[in-house]
Amino acid sequence: MPRISIPLTGLNKDFVVQLSYSMAFVSEEVLGHEIDLAGNRLVVDLTSDASRTEVEAKIKQMIERYREGEFGFRSKVYFEQHADIIQNDTWPELLARKWVTSVGDGHVILRGPAARLADVIDQRIQSIFAREFKAEKEIYPATIKCETLDRIHHFTSFPEHVDFVAHLKSDVVALQQFSSRCREIGWSSALHEGQMAEHDYAISPSCCYHCYEGMEGWELSAPGRCITMTVPCHRFESRNQQSMSRLRAFTQRDVVWVGHPKYVLDSRHRADALIVEWAKDWGLDCTYETANDMFFTDDYAVKASFQRQQEAKKELRLTIPQESKTISVFSSNFHSLTFGKAFNIKVEGRTAASACVGWGFERWVYAIFSQFGFDSARWPGGLRRDFTL
Amino acid sequence: METDAIARTIEQYLREKFKIDSTDREFDADVHLFDYGYVDSFGAVDLTLFVESTFGITISNSDLVLYPLNTVNEIARFVVKRQKGEC
Repeated sequence: MPRISIPLTGLNKDFVVQLSYSMAFVSEEVLGHEIDLAGNRLVVDLTSDASRTEVEAKIKQMIERYREGEFGFRSKVYFEQHADIIQNDTWPELLARKWVTSVGDGHVILRGPAARLADVIDQRIQSIFAREFKAEKEIYPATIKCETLDRIHHFTSFPEHVDFVAHLKSDVVALQQFSSRCREIGWSSALHEGQMAEHDYAISPSCCYHCYEGMEGWELSAPGRCITMTVPCHRFESRNQQSMSRLRAFTQRDVVWVGHPKYVLDSRHRADALIVEWAKDWGLDCTYETANDMFFTDDYAVKASFQRQQEAKKELRLTIPQESKTISVFSSNFHSLTFGKAFNIKVEGRTAASACVGWGFERWVYAIFSQFGFDSARWPGGLRRDFTL
Repeated sequence: METDAIARTIEQYLREKFKIDSTDREFDADVHLFDYGYVDSFGAVDLTLFVESTFGITISNSDLVLYPLNTVNEIARFVVKRQKGEC
């Protein structure tokens, strides 16, 4: 197998995780990679030798992106807790018990106790967070206009994630041809060639986007409003898809505040305290810390380091012992006026600020079984009080 | 240059650069520039360059982590200390 080795001279060590994540999107010629921190180099396996020069240039461009943040790289841990966790083969065990079934790359079905645990988590969010902030429930479609994603600059931050939606052209000949070929030889993506209409929608990559576009032109009563919703979200994750710790299709609940900056920031601050109380109550092995989005564009350094410097993103990260890593199961995001400006949302005559907190159900379920195993009698008391197998 | 004069220069720059309405009652030298959305990430880069070139100082990444530089007054106080070599 062709392999290239690239020195990591000048790479900020804080950005190693980001570089590793981004390597999945650098080229389809890359089969895999390994970051050798001791040797200060990146080793990359390629599909063929022919692409060596081209891929090497792309990787060097990627490394350049992660040299230094404009505003430093603030790392702050607000809360940390260690629990008596066990090592178990969570993913194969969930599959064997049929509590989870994989139905495609990064697509899973939860059922039985896994589905019940997800429901317990959602009920808890609603009983604690939605009630605390008097959140109004809204129901959203699973897809979103590309035009909307463009207006909120999603494509200039996360182009790699977008799963576009397409349908066949409204043309009787094209439709009959497609249908006939499927009957004769079965479906294949080659049958899409030249037969698809324009892609003007995508599957929602985020839970709360419809919330802001739905309020376009609104003048809110002070101090603002709180909204909650659950949305099936999609993010293409390329080679980063792994077990249930990073899925392509996942379900998320958000609690969103839109209004005066003080109302939004005070509410977010209160949510910080509530999530830490929850982590303590369930005895989770976790950290609550500053974070940044994995912006996949060359302005990464400005956006990500500013986000960290302003503590605009925080994550509750749960330990996944068998994968020797942590995963984010809850994030708290302050957007400042980004969405208020995009959709002309006002409060007391000024542009509204917004923030959201979000929970990914599949990750919560996976992390809890990973940390505490399948004998709920041995689970921490608070968790056992709310859920038993 | 005194802190107040530095603050006025920065305030004037922000008003012009970011088109802050003169009737905006919340904009003053103590408002959090980023929380209240007066300056975003790219605006912060411009503001840093303006402060460095106007007052003849350098602001490093670690300064941005170590010192509160979120309001006009915080930035002005930092400039004075940096000019005096106190930070």
